Amino acid sequence: MIEFPRTSHAVAREPRVQILGLGGAGTNVLDRIQLDGADGAELIAINTDLQSLTGSVAPAKVQLGPKTTRGLGAGGDPELGYEAAEEVAGDLRAALDGADVVLICTGLGGGTGSGAAPLIASYARDLGALVVLFATMPFSFEGKRRMAQAQDALATLHRYADVVVCFDNDKMADAVSPTAAVQDAFGVADQTLSQSVRAISALIRRRGLIHAGLDELATVLRRQNPRCVFGSGDADGDNRAHLALERALKSPLMDRGRMLSEADSVLVNIAGGSNLTLNEVQILMDELNRHIADHTRILFGMAIDPRLGNRLVVTILSSVEADPGIDAPRIAPPAREPAPDLDSQAVPEPHISFVESDEDVVAVPAARAPVRVPAAARPPVVEPVAKRGGKQEQMQFEPVTRGRFEKSEPTIVDGQDLDVPTFLRRNGRAK
Amino acid sequence: MASEDIVVGLEIGTSKICAVVGETRRDGTVKILGVGQAPSRGVRKGEIVDFDTAGKCIREALADAEEKSDVMIRSVFLAVSGGHVESFNNRGSVTIPDDREDICEEDYEDVQAAAREVTIPPSNIFLHSFLQRYYVDGQDGVLNPIGMMGRKLEADFHIVHGIGNRIKNSIRCVKELDIDVEEIVFGAIASALVVLDLNQKNLGALVIDMGGGTTGYAAYVDGGIKQSGCIAVGGDHITNDISLGLRIPMARAERLKIEEGGVTLGDSLPGETVVLKDETGFAGREIEREMLNTIIHCRVRETLELLRREFDDSNYLDFLGAGVLLTGGCSMLDGVDKLAEEIFGLPVHLTHAHTVSGVTSAFENPQFSTAIGLIKYAQAMQGEKPRGWLSRMARKIPFFGIWLLIPALLVITVVLFFTFRP
Repeated sequence: MIEFPRTSHAVAREPRVQILGLGGAGTNVLDRIQLDGADGAELIAINTDLQSLTGSVAPAKVQLGPKTTRGLGAGGDPELGYEAAEEVAGDLRAALDGADVVLICTGLGGGTGSGAAPLIASYARDLGALVVLFATMPFSFEGKRRMAQAQDALATLHRYADVVVCFDNDKMADAVSPTAAVQDAFGVADQTLSQSVRAISALIRRRGLIHAGLDELATVLRRQNPRCVFGSGDADGDNRAHLALERALKSPLMDRGRMLSEADSVLVNIAGGSNLTLNEVQILMDELNRHIADHTRILFGMAIDPRLGNRLVVTILSSVEADPGIDAPRIAPPAREPAPDLDSQAVPEPHISFVESDEDVVAVPAARAPVRVPAAARPPVVEPVAKRGGKQEQMQFEPVTRGRFEKSEPTIVDGQDLDVPTFLRRNGRAK
Repeated sequence: MASEDIVVGLEIGTSKICAVVGETRRDGTVKILGVGQAPSRGVRKGEIVDFDTAGKCIREALADAEEKSDVMIRSVFLAVSGGHVESFNNRGSVTIPDDREDICEEDYEDVQAAAREVTIPPSNIFLHSFLQRYYVDGQDGVLNPIGMMGRKLEADFHIVHGIGNRIKNSIRCVKELDIDVEEIVFGAIASALVVLDLNQKNLGALVIDMGGGTTGYAAYVDGGIKQSGCIAVGGDHITNDISLGLRIPMARAERLKIEEGGVTLGDSLPGETVVLKDETGFAGREIEREMLNTIIHCRVRETLELLRREFDDSNYLDFLGAGVLLTGGCSMLDGVDKLAEEIFGLPVHLTHAHTVSGVTSAFENPQFSTAIGLIKYAQAMQGEKPRGWLSRMARKIPFFGIWLLIPALLVITVVLFFTFRP
């Protein structure tokens, strides 16, 4: 009898994506994702606060620190959040086991998010998953203390997460009309976050014609102190390419495409049903090109997903350096270093039944290889603060004015509004 | 007067609306009978933004033209402009059916239709397709293929298109005054028709129409239009810049631009000032001339540079034997030809509608180039159209005979009914 050896090399399968909602804010976002449709990703809500956890619609839940906090919240204390997560380390590891990509959504500044997120990110990373962190920074009215905590946590998270997508609550609030109710304002923040998490989850899972995956994502987002520029829009109908892009550019974190002109690399993913035409892609990219600088690197992905039907979805992701002012408090070393003691106890633990029925868990470690980002693409742990190319902001002495063209449709060429007087735009460069 | 036709050209500009009444003669000449104009309001960057106000101004301009020319205006040729107008070149091709050997008129129409079979944005409509050249069985340089033998007819067309709704808005604005719009013409092309003579067209020339709200251009190479377009920046922007830069009202900025403005830098003495007169005639503020000129210079340079960049992808600028011709109101700015010469590296001339006769004061003013050009356009089109209103109607309306027959039958029935009523 001839034994024919099976091919031993790994068979690429669809990566297993887990979305974790951590803390109060994270749980809210997770609920939103669940309602919007998780698209095949596993959702796990993680919180110290039992009440919020009970109210969540997520299929799987992990309570942090049943002994430490006794089902109450972490009370805005990251130390407590950290201890609570440490207490259930086994449960967390079991829940995270087998995931290829872990997306963690959390609100920084509080106890649970800021304390537990670095720990959970490091667990996930130890278990071989790629970690993408979506964090919201607190509103500035929540106080400086909270902001400082959030920034500390963010600094720590940069070490444990492969990709950090950071949203500014203040920025998102700008997008809401001043008369909108408070819950609407928070709703918008949740929605934006949910949209971006789902978009990235889809980006990873959907195998595209022109594939843009995690490696591209990491390239775009790798940065010292990133501020995420994210926009996603979908549309159908005759003019869907144009409309989808317009909606993407209208996203709160996009600043009507203005932020894009500062970015030096932009990830664009276009997904559509089987009737997506090349012409549409062309129209869309042409239009987008007007919003970005000439030297900007475009990482382009395109995917056909019959489930989208007639819709066309555009996702634009990029990051720009946040203003250096925010950078300052980070000089203080992060409060704790959870990594060293973690490495010692990296023993896989058996599955515990609280994880949702994972029928398709094929624990082939090699299969995970394709989605791993090469080491070079990972954000370097310590990177000297590089001098960025000398692009100095011009101080605007008076608000940009368009005079009699104030209300007319702007004429934009190369990102310049031609209605603004030329001598003002060229200020000093004229002669 | 059977051999002449009276045509009216209407341009709804950003700074003024003007209506030109002209006579097109069979021998190919054009005579201007009268020019009516009214200051324009409700138009920005070549597009109507306030329907009612613009309507009133159009009525004023048309009334003025009627009075001056003593002609009753029923229909006009309308010029359109605006940053949305774009153009490209395309080749159409048809194969002559097997049962025929020679090329006939309908093949020409087919080839024109074939050239238009390209995707333009769904909101856009075609404005023009101008013939550039024919190829019969691949043979170049055919001037008129009709009657020739061939298997395949190809033709290059220059196609101009723009956003449908914006174009329709200008048409509607005129139609609301009970005036018919015979045809719509892209303003820059109308200007080019009248400032260029045949020789210049063959040599190659770029016409830049520097208007109030937009700057349009049309490039002729080898006798055909090769490129045309429009930038939504014009004289209005210069005025706005002055008004914002020197903090003076728009109306005064406009006057200052016309009376004192120039684009030449370093030409004025250090500290030389312009005195801004008060409404009452008293001396008011003093303005440094260099400052004023710098503001204007920056804007005009930018506009011309943007225009220059439109030609980056083609080498048409190398084929402009007759150079660059500037027309439109803004071309009257002092020194603009020198600046254009510097930017394009070509000889630049200031020009106006010189291929017509009649009211001299009208056609010698570069502001009226577009409106006069419309008459030239009308003349060019007339050659293609059957003459007489009945036959023209018959062409436009399908089953024209039936439409005549039905009312006639109705009348007869009614008459019969009343005569034989018991």
